[in-house]
Amino acid sequence: MNRAKRDRNEEREGINRNARIETEIDQILAGEEELMPSSGFLGSVMDRVRQEAALPAPIPFPWKLAVPGILLAGGVCGWGGFELMRSGLPLMSAFTVPLPVLPRHLSAATILALEQAGWVALALGSSLASWLLSRRLAGASGIL
Amino acid sequence: MNDPNSADEDLAAVEQVVAGDARAFEGIVRRWQGPLINMAWRYCRDRGRAEEMAQEAFLRAWRGLAKWRREGSFSSWLFALAANVYRSELKRFPTETLPMESAPEPSGPAAQHSELAAQLSHEAVQRAVLALPLRYREPVILFYFHEMDVAAAASTMGLPEGTLKARLSRARALLRQRFPHLDERQAFHTPHKPRKMGQPNVGDREMDQETGKEAAL
Repeated sequence: MNRAKRDRNEEREGINRNARIETEIDQILAGEEELMPSSGFLGSVMDRVRQEAALPAPIPFPWKLAVPGILLAGGVCGWGGFELMRSGLPLMSAFTVPLPVLPRHLSAATILALEQAGWVALALGSSLASWLLSRRLAGASGIL
Repeated sequence: MNDPNSADEDLAAVEQVVAGDARAFEGIVRRWQGPLINMAWRYCRDRGRAEEMAQEAFLRAWRGLAKWRREGSFSSWLFALAANVYRSELKRFPTETLPMESAPEPSGPAAQHSELAAQLSHEAVQRAVLALPLRYREPVILFYFHEMDVAAAASTMGLPEGTLKARLSRARALLRQRFPHLDERQAFHTPHKPRKMGQPNVGDREMDQETGKEAAL
């Protein structure tokens, strides 16, 4: 009985102590002294604002001119890709050699599945590389 | 948090700036330079750098004024923008901080009677805040900058209040663990609370950086 009471008292004391420490932290961090701006601060901010205001307005991106160009480039790339696939795939199949590492008892369906898995892995790898590159570029420009 | 007169003045100044009068921005800088510098100071504890960061925040505000959608108060927008600027700046060039474990525990009870010991104790706690992990550091900085106003700190960080409270609670637990004897010092000094940090400057006083004296504008 006494022990339970003592435990309760200790627990209560611990809670009170934590509350006292937090109150002290509150007082220290909320009661920091005010830092006064230096005498030249306002002037230097306004100098930079005036410099920026004096600059000519940025030239807007010429979307009207760029959109046809982007569409044309996209079309050319798409057509090039299509042609590459059309002429390249038969060539690739002609050059395909049996993989020595694959056991002979694997069925054709398994080998096909493995090939597809390879393509999926390649696609995932390139996606990951592209994501990492874009993050790096965005981080370098301060966006992220 | 926001003085209505100041809010009206801010709004009028914003209208003028957006209309092309760059000089009207001076009123905004004059009113908010104190709070923005003090906020930056809490992020980096380096006076020179705090002014540089505050200057950058004002420039970003100047560039972005036309995009301010007037959904909240001007001060909320300005503080959120400044917090973003400070966060990015410190990510690019982090401050040199001691690890949390290396922040010195203030001296023992014998020395507690002196003002110096109290001062050391304050500085140790303030330094320990900078040594907190980033996700806990910023809630602490903004919570105390906004005079312990959870809603204002959450709005500045763009976080839900519950998330901010949880991070704050964890941060305070870390500080409590680091300074387990802080409560024993409580009786030996009187805390001071000089002014409301998140308020615009009411007087046009500035401190000369060289002499450390106040100078009237």
